[in-house]
Amino acid sequence: MLTFVLRRLLMLVPVIIGLTVIMFAIARLLPGDPVGLAAGPNATQAEIEALSREFGLDQPVWVQYWTYVSGLAQGDLGTSLATRRPVATDIAAYLPATLELVLAAMLIAVAVGIPLGLITAVWRNRWPDYLSQVMAIGAISMPRFFLGLLLQLGFAMWLMWLPLGGRFPIVMIPPPHVTGFLTLDSLLAGDMEAFGITMRYLALPSIAMSLSPLATIMRMMRASTIEVMQQDYVTTARALGLSNRRIICKYVARNAVSATLTVIGLYFGWLLGGTVLVETVFDWPGLGLYATRAIVSQDMMPVIGVALVIGVLFVLANLVIDLTYGLVNPRVRYT
Amino acid sequence: MTQGITVSRRGLMAMAGTSLAAASFPQSLFAQSGRNILIIAAGQDIPSFDPHTSSGYSASFLLRNTYDPLVRVAGIPPEPVPALADSWTVSEDGLEYVFTLNPAARFHSGAPVTAEDVVYSFNRALTLARGNAWMIRGIVTPEGMVAEGAGTVRFTLGVPYAAFLQVLPWIFIVEKAAVEANLGNDQGEAWLMNNIAGSGPFRVARSQAGTLFHLERTPEAWQAGGGNLDGVIWQIVRETASQRLMLQRGEVHMAVDLTSEDMDALEAAPGVVRVIEPEYRTFSIKMNTAHGPLADINLRKAISYATNYQAIIEAAGYADLMTGPLPDGILGHDPALEVYRTDLDKAREHLAQSAHPEGGITLRMVHVSGLEQQRRWALIMLDSLKALNINLEIVPMNWPDMVAACKSPETFPDLFPVYQTANYGDPDNIAYAAYHSSRNGAWQNAVYANPEVDALIEAARAEIDSEARVALYRRFQEMVVADAPDIFGVLERRKLGMRDVVQGYRFSPVASNAVEAWGLSLG
Repeated sequence: MLTFVLRRLLMLVPVIIGLTVIMFAIARLLPGDPVGLAAGPNATQAEIEALSREFGLDQPVWVQYWTYVSGLAQGDLGTSLATRRPVATDIAAYLPATLELVLAAMLIAVAVGIPLGLITAVWRNRWPDYLSQVMAIGAISMPRFFLGLLLQLGFAMWLMWLPLGGRFPIVMIPPPHVTGFLTLDSLLAGDMEAFGITMRYLALPSIAMSLSPLATIMRMMRASTIEVMQQDYVTTARALGLSNRRIICKYVARNAVSATLTVIGLYFGWLLGGTVLVETVFDWPGLGLYATRAIVSQDMMPVIGVALVIGVLFVLANLVIDLTYGLVNPRVRYT
Repeated sequence: MTQGITVSRRGLMAMAGTSLAAASFPQSLFAQSGRNILIIAAGQDIPSFDPHTSSGYSASFLLRNTYDPLVRVAGIPPEPVPALADSWTVSEDGLEYVFTLNPAARFHSGAPVTAEDVVYSFNRALTLARGNAWMIRGIVTPEGMVAEGAGTVRFTLGVPYAAFLQVLPWIFIVEKAAVEANLGNDQGEAWLMNNIAGSGPFRVARSQAGTLFHLERTPEAWQAGGGNLDGVIWQIVRETASQRLMLQRGEVHMAVDLTSEDMDALEAAPGVVRVIEPEYRTFSIKMNTAHGPLADINLRKAISYATNYQAIIEAAGYADLMTGPLPDGILGHDPALEVYRTDLDKAREHLAQSAHPEGGITLRMVHVSGLEQQRRWALIMLDSLKALNINLEIVPMNWPDMVAACKSPETFPDLFPVYQTANYGDPDNIAYAAYHSSRNGAWQNAVYANPEVDALIEAARAEIDSEARVALYRRFQEMVVADAPDIFGVLERRKLGMRDVVQGYRFSPVASNAVEAWGLSLG
C-alpha cells in the first residue's frame, strides 16, 4: 500500500510539468499586453520596458519557463505582475476558504445524496423515485450561480435568515488563524458563537455548490444499488431470510458506494475549478475570485499557480478516494 | 427542557427562524461593534498600500484616508484646500511655489511632518516612476525642490504648470525616517506594501486582501474638525447587485459601484439616499485617424453626423451628452461649442465628398466583451451606419487585447469605445492624455496626432493666466471638433448610494468613489 501511495504521489511530477508547459504555451499564444496593462495608462514606453525586464518577460519563453520551474522546485510560485505580491502567499490566503467551501459542499452532497440514492433504489418506480428523479434533473441543469442568486433572494432578502455574502461578519473579529478553516478555527478556539456564525455564512454558498454533485451522486447511487440488488448473493441473502434492512445496509450499500466513490473524486476537482461563479455571487474570498481577477488582467503567474494547486489537489483527492475503496471493500488490493 | 412545555412543530420553526434572524440581521452586528464604523461596499481590492506606486480608486481611498498630501481639493468645481500645507504662495511667472506646513501635522509615529519628508516623498515618487508619478513627471525635478527649514518647501518648476495644485492631492507624503528604516533594496516598496508611514486621520487596523480593509481613527489625529467616525471598512463586494442588496438591508452604509439599473431599483428604498452627480468621466468612441478608411476626415464627419445620439444617451442611463472633447463644467469647457448631432443630410453630404461616396465598405468596431453598455453602443453604431450603406463588424475583445491593439495604427480598429476618468480636476488631464500625440500607442490616444493641437495643449498647461488659459482651451476644443477624431459620447454621472444615517457628505467630481471619510459622521 505504501508503494501504491508513493507511486501515485510520483505521478504528481508529470502532472505539474504538463500543467506548467500547457499554461506557458497558452500565455505565449494569447494576444494582449499584460505588461502595458500592469504599468498603467500613463506609463511611458521606457517604464513598460523596465517592468518587462524586472519580471523577465523580455526573455525568450524557454528561459522564462526554466526560471519558473527552478523557482517552483523551491516552492516559489512567482510574483503577480498586477499586485507584485508573491503568488504563493496569496494562494495560501485564499485556498482555505475555497477548500472549506468545497468540502462543505461535498459533505452535503454525500450525506444527502447517498441515503437518497439508496431510498430511491429501494422505492424504485414509486413516487419518491419519480419525485427525486425530477428534482435531480432540475438540480443538475440549474446553473450554480443562478441557484446562488435564488437562494440569496429567498433566504437573505425575503426571510432574512441568512447573510447575503462574505465569510464572517466584517464588524466582528474572526477566531485566531490556525487552519484557515473558519469552522475549525472557531471550534479550536472554543468559540461556539463564532462557529454558529461561520456555519450560517457557509450555508448558502455550500448549498448552491452541492446541488449538482448531490443529484449526480444520488442518481449514481440509485443505479448501482439497483444493479447490486439484482446480484445472486442478494437473492441468496433474501432466501436465507435476512431482513431487507439488514441486506441493504450491510451488503448492498457497501458495494454500491464503491462505484459512487469515483464520481465523488471527480466532482472534487470539478468543484475546485468551478467555484468561480459561486464565489463571485457570494463574495467568498477564495481561489476562484483570485483566479478570475488574474485571468481578466492576463496576470499569468497567479493563473499558473492556481492551475497547479487545483491539479495537485485533484490528484490527491483521487488518491484519497482510491484508498477509501479499501475501507469500504476489504477485497480491494493496492499494488 | 423543563417538563410541560409543548411546542408545536410550526412554532419551533418560527422560533428557529427568529433566533437565526436576530443573530444574523445586520443591525445587531452594528450594535455589537458599539462604535461608529462606516462600511463601504466596493468592487475593487486594494493591491498595495504604497502611496507612490499604487493607483486606482480603491488604493486612492486607502491613501486619501491614511496619508496626507500637501493640498487637497474640494467642491464643484474642485478647488485646492489646505492639507499638510496650511498656506502657499505662487510666483508671478508660475514657476515658484512655496508651501508652509501646518506645524500641528504629525505622522502616526508622533514625529512632526517636515519639509524634509515632503522632498523625500516627491523624490521617491519620481524615482519609482509608477502610480501617480506621471502627474509630476517633467514638471517637478529633484533639483527644483528645497526644504527651507522644517516647515517650508520651495518648488521651482522647470516649466510653468497651471494644474500643479490640482495634481498635488495625489502625491502623498511619507515619513522619511520610517521608510529609511525599512528600505531593503527596493526603496522600501516591500515594506510600504503592507505598512503605513503616513500622517492621515486613519490607520490600518485589519487588512484581508480580497475581503476587507478596516481603517481606524488614529487617537492623536492632528487634523482639526471632522466627523464622529471611529473607523471605516472597505468591504469588497464584486457584484453590483449584491452591493445594492446590502445597502438596502443596511449591511453597508455606502455602495460605490452601482449601475443605472441599481439606482432605479433603489429609488423608493427606505433609508437610502442616492447621489447622482455629473463627473469628469468621458465615454467616447475613438476613430482610427491614421490608418484605414477613417483616415479620411470626410468619412469621420459623415459618421459623426450619422450617429444616433439619442439612442446613445438612452443606452447610457444616468448620463449627459458631451459637448466636445472636454467634460462640462471643467475649466475652459465651452458649452456653446458646435458639435455633431444627428443630421443625415449632412452625413450624406460629407460621405459624398469622401473616398467612398456610396459607402459600401465594412468598418471594424471592438468593445470590451461582457460590458453590456459598450455592446449596446456597438449595435447603435451598426444601425446608424446602415443609413450610409456602411457595414459594421462588431468584435468583442478582452481589455488586455484591446490595449495591445492600440500599439500601432495598423492594429488599431476603426472604432474603439473608451471610458476616461479625469484623475485631477483640470482640463489638462483629459486634453493631454486623450489628444496629445505623445500618448500615441497607448489606449487613451492610440493614433490621433495634430501638431497644432499639441502646441495648444502645451501652451495651455504652461499658461498661468486663467483667462488666457480658457481662451487656449476654447481654441483647442474647436480644433479637435473640426478634426472629428472621436464620436463624442456621454459624461456618465457618478452613482453612489448611501444610508440616510451618513452625514456630512459633500460631492466633488474628482475620484468621488475613493471616499474621504474624515468629514463624515454616522447619525
